[in-house]
Amino acid sequence: MEALVTFVLNFIYSSATLALIVLGLAMVFGLLGVMNMAHGEFVMLGAYSAYVVQYMGLSFLWAVPTSIVVCVTVGWLMEWAIIRHLYKRPFDTLLATWGVAILIRKGVEVIFTREYKSVDQVMPGTIDIIGITYPSYRLVLVAIIICLFIALFTWYQKSKTGLRVKAMVQNPELASAVGIDTARLSTVTFIIGVSFAGLAGVLLAPLVRVEPYIGLDYLLSSFFILIVGGLGTLEGILIGSAVIGGSDALISTIFDKTAGYLSVLFISILFLWLRPDGIFSRR
Amino acid sequence: MQLSEKMEGKMKRRDFIKSSLTTLAATAALQGVASRAIAGSILKIGVMIPLSGPAGLFGPASKNVSQMAADDINAAGGILGRQVEIVFGDAGLPPAEAAQTALRLWRGEGCEAFIGMHDSGVRGALINVFKEQVPYVYCPNYEGGECANGVYYVGETPAQSVVPTMTWLSKEKNLKKFYLIGNDYNWPRDTNAIAKNTIADMGGEVVGEEYMPFTVDNFDSSLAKIKATGADMVLITLVGGASVSFNRAFASFGLADSVMRLGTLIDENTLMGIGAENSKNIFSAASYFANIETDDAKAFAKSYSAKFGSDAAILNALSTSCYDGLTALDAIAERAGGLSVKEMDLVADGTAFGSPRGDAVMKNRHLTLDIYLAEAIGTNFEIVKTFSKQEPGNFCKA
Repeated sequence: MEALVTFVLNFIYSSATLALIVLGLAMVFGLLGVMNMAHGEFVMLGAYSAYVVQYMGLSFLWAVPTSIVVCVTVGWLMEWAIIRHLYKRPFDTLLATWGVAILIRKGVEVIFTREYKSVDQVMPGTIDIIGITYPSYRLVLVAIIICLFIALFTWYQKSKTGLRVKAMVQNPELASAVGIDTARLSTVTFIIGVSFAGLAGVLLAPLVRVEPYIGLDYLLSSFFILIVGGLGTLEGILIGSAVIGGSDALISTIFDKTAGYLSVLFISILFLWLRPDGIFSRR
Repeated sequence: MQLSEKMEGKMKRRDFIKSSLTTLAATAALQGVASRAIAGSILKIGVMIPLSGPAGLFGPASKNVSQMAADDINAAGGILGRQVEIVFGDAGLPPAEAAQTALRLWRGEGCEAFIGMHDSGVRGALINVFKEQVPYVYCPNYEGGECANGVYYVGETPAQSVVPTMTWLSKEKNLKKFYLIGNDYNWPRDTNAIAKNTIADMGGEVVGEEYMPFTVDNFDSSLAKIKATGADMVLITLVGGASVSFNRAFASFGLADSVMRLGTLIDENTLMGIGAENSKNIFSAASYFANIETDDAKAFAKSYSAKFGSDAAILNALSTSCYDGLTALDAIAERAGGLSVKEMDLVADGTAFGSPRGDAVMKNRHLTLDIYLAEAIGTNFEIVKTFSKQEPGNFCKA
């Protein structure tokens, strides 16, 4: 029983955090068609924002605005200098954003060195829940992520901006013909996408290791989720995260971690082969 | 690729082959009279350390320490009367590429001896390249079991680090159930093979053994197993970032109070990443810690920060092993009166030298040395016990 409860909580936790990580990438890829290889680096920038805030002796909450300022600045620069010239050239954006990823990694390495940094937990300790002991911060994090997704989902369905974005995605020419400033909308979408990555970095920083190369891990898992879930829908993100996080957790628990990782690769390959658009496809 | 570039590439390759052949011929001609004839000339030593890749974290400190060792050796008159010059090569690459780099340093740059601080894969590739023709000192702790000609191992093996510390700690804390977790390659597996014998000797029980791919950063399923098995101690042979992630998650589940953690590669850097609030009951065993309370170690740390500044890359067992590597090379070469592998192999055993980590004597091409067991207090290590003069065992066939 204990093992089952632990498993279920671990499953919810890993699916939720995966969904949070992939959210920004899915926005940028699904809505703008830009495969942002520097996505993980924005997660990393968020984690370092949390570290800097802690280093300066400020409250953890300051990490949220700090990361947003950092990601908006870097994201805007990136969109202005590179991305906007490469829309509709997927392979070029792939290479260009990979270059930016290296630049960000090396930049952080120059400032902070490669040594590991530790971000203190906001809520250290565990709580007893349904007969087991579980880290308190994880539960809070899951709650935050659920609220975030509900808010985002509602906003996208109900707001005018959401409608404009949908119009832009479906037919950019027609959208701009009816007076939607698609260039500006693209910029804003990109910046919001990378800011979500930064936010994910902040929220995860107390739980994970912090060093300049962590972005690569997050990029890889994000790919798998997008492959399974499909592009451009929030439902896809959630289902993709649950499938990837769940199969890894389940197989790892029954067998070992190598089998768990293998199952993730296997599922991703199956999807690429049999259902390349993922479970939720817009097409 | 443009045609002209292709031609250029061809030319370069041809030039390279030509110059390599010339070097080869020259080396052959000089052999026998080499070492004494060029006394007084600069002695180039190739130092293979990770400058990139996952282990690149240890690059800056290793570089500093190697340079410091060379400066100290030069101040004392050099090796065989020759001033030492260090040429760095990147060992953070895949083994085949690292071997190419070493070959270039050897044949191209004229390095006459090598120091290596890198993983076992690269070591195997370098041994293949050197083919017993050039002395090579392997610095970091490793899984043990080797005895190649012309290779001198100055790092501790599991027999030296794991066996005494695990036995002592288990007795002290009354530990019976052991869980072994490591990354999936030969060092963790070989270490655990030795640990399992020790556990059996103590009458303990292995309740779990797991090997993780390097890509893993979520250890939830392992932590659930550790909890379910009721392990008293986890022997950690995870490396670098994996160790950081694992230990952080371990503590967040509230396991740190009741379960001891012991590792032989939890260095000062890793502990920083684990963080003060997650480090309770972490023990680490190694031949060096930055705050060993001996005069040698203190003097070493002091001159390191005097030379490279107080915010220089932090010292740990791996980077410091480069100092021992160069010191060992110096000591063996002086004893042999030359740098030929044959002469050095003959006199290597019994060579004694002092180092930041204490006095060491070479035996069976490995070192008899002191091992320290340290406990993590916050993000610092405090030595709880010194196991003096641990014998390396014998991996050399008679």
